[in-house]
Amino acid sequence: MLRITEHPILGAPEKGRRVEFTFDGRTMSGCEGEPVAAALKAEGVMIHRYTSKRHEPRGIFCAIGRCTDCVMVVDGVPNIRTCVTPLHEGMDVRTQYGVTDRKDFGEEAR
Amino acid sequence: MKRYDLIVIGAGPSGLSAAAEAASKGLRTVVFDENERPGGQLFKQIHKFFGSKEHKAKVRGYNIGKQLLQEAADAGVDVVLNAPVEGLYPDHEVTVRIGDSLRHFKGDAVIAATGASENMAAFKGWTLPGVIGAGAAQTMMNLHGIKPGNKVVMLGSGNVGLVVSYQLLQAGVEVAAVVDALPHVGGYGVHAAKLARTGVPFYLSHTIVEAEGEDRVKGVTIAEIDNKFNFIPGTEKHFDADTICVAVGLSPMSQLLKMAECDVPDDPSKGGQAPRVGAFGETSVKGVFAAGDVSGIEEASSAMIEGRITGLAAAESLGFITKQELEAETAGLENQLASLRRGMFAPGNKGRKITETDEGIALSESLLTQGYVADDEIARFPGVTKQRGIHPVIECTQNIPCNPCQDACRKGCIRIGKDITSLPAVDTDSQCVGCGLCVAACSGQAVFLVDEDYEEGYASVTLPYEFLPLPETGARGTALDRSGAPVCEAEVVEIRTSPAFDHTNLLTMKVPADMAMTARFFRNQKTESEAC
Repeated sequence: MLRITEHPILGAPEKGRRVEFTFDGRTMSGCEGEPVAAALKAEGVMIHRYTSKRHEPRGIFCAIGRCTDCVMVVDGVPNIRTCVTPLHEGMDVRTQYGVTDRKDFGEEAR
Repeated sequence: MKRYDLIVIGAGPSGLSAAAEAASKGLRTVVFDENERPGGQLFKQIHKFFGSKEHKAKVRGYNIGKQLLQEAADAGVDVVLNAPVEGLYPDHEVTVRIGDSLRHFKGDAVIAATGASENMAAFKGWTLPGVIGAGAAQTMMNLHGIKPGNKVVMLGSGNVGLVVSYQLLQAGVEVAAVVDALPHVGGYGVHAAKLARTGVPFYLSHTIVEAEGEDRVKGVTIAEIDNKFNFIPGTEKHFDADTICVAVGLSPMSQLLKMAECDVPDDPSKGGQAPRVGAFGETSVKGVFAAGDVSGIEEASSAMIEGRITGLAAAESLGFITKQELEAETAGLENQLASLRRGMFAPGNKGRKITETDEGIALSESLLTQGYVADDEIARFPGVTKQRGIHPVIECTQNIPCNPCQDACRKGCIRIGKDITSLPAVDTDSQCVGCGLCVAACSGQAVFLVDEDYEEGYASVTLPYEFLPLPETGARGTALDRSGAPVCEAEVVEIRTSPAFDHTNLLTMKVPADMAMTARFFRNQKTESEAC
């Protein structure tokens, strides 16, 4: 369980209401308004995308919208920085392969 | 196009300070920031800051952030969020992305307060999910309430690595090790000591060989390095861990200033490519100023003062105040800045190996190489005295710019003097009443109350405690020494909490009398069994 319920300095975190979203079609839940990446982290998702050339996994790195390692396909739009994109009810979040949500991305090129 | 007297880029500590100061002089001021929330990194800083009263010492970073936001709002500053500045052109033209459009603004003066970004260290497996910046860990746990993992190895023993490691412990994350390629701890000794006493081991002259795991971090191998940074075979050590935090320094984010054609030389003493600036933050381009980390990596306290100076300078450059007023108002600020830039960790001492304090006392070698002051070193520091009855023991052994302990003591037991970086000395004829305000006031958690005559055969040790669960009076457990090693049984005899302590609880434990100068942390029996 990665959610902090009580913190010695900050107390209980102020979070939005619980909402559902999907990750690669699977229903998950998170807190409204928190970064999509935070909700995924709490659900145990580490891999946000695979690189286009070597198909290597990538996840959260800077968490402040700078490095673009955590980009995913969100509501059909690729390259969304999940660490700075607030979670909303019903969001469709998908693992990004290269620049699409298709696992076979780049296959034809090889 | 919209015009402003002053455009500030970045709503962090320096940008907000600059804007508040300028707006208070009548400048129509706007601050653009790319983030959803203002404050830069301030709201992630949950530790108490160093410095003196003027620097808001012993106030936690996020509370300083709240005060600063209020001040900017009161001064009439416009803060526009979710607004990344994408261009800074000659003649102070600024383009900002707001929503899906690119908007055009012009400021008679521009202050770049764009801050810094984290550096990276490349090692085998460094791109695996689970390898994150230390700042990312801080963002996730302190802003979003999510632990970055369950077990972390920290690479880097500078202040960021040390402070974030401690915050990880506070969030309930295990810290397996703090690793640094340098032969000595880079950050304040007091930050290292508060980690070491909880049992976190330090590996200096070590670095990461490999992050292990197929598609995420499962473990880490570190090894010792020689003075040419080559691994020494046979020195490998393995840790199970799901997260590696990288805290290997910061670099100024000076891209916009380069775009504006400011002179931006490479300057290692400033952490990278930083603009050449004058005493008031003025760059080589007229009307363009820089403040905070972008003009040289320091910390939030100095960034705020730099911001104020630069805000006043912008006001003077546009004729809102006179040159005399600028000089009069900045003189005090310059003094505050100068006092923060003194001591062993002053920018000018970067990379220099210091062996003794200003008082001529040999530094603790153990502190520099293992993160804690050894038993046979502690007695030589002026905050450590042996007295009858309760008295403070101040294990502050490096010259750092900080003096809240002196202000906290109403009985005058603690003396730092005029020079803010002097080591605190405890009056050997102390009138200590055991109020504990000094324990809570110390941003480095280096003050303890010791009573060697607590009970027949027993001493009491009062220590700052910022973890959950808070042990209850009567709880029995184990006392740990400065290195985090268990040394004796201990019983909690008092827990004190108070708004005046600001979330630093005072835990008093009873230990055998001969452990008074050894026992420095309490581990609850219950938490130990839970851990197994």
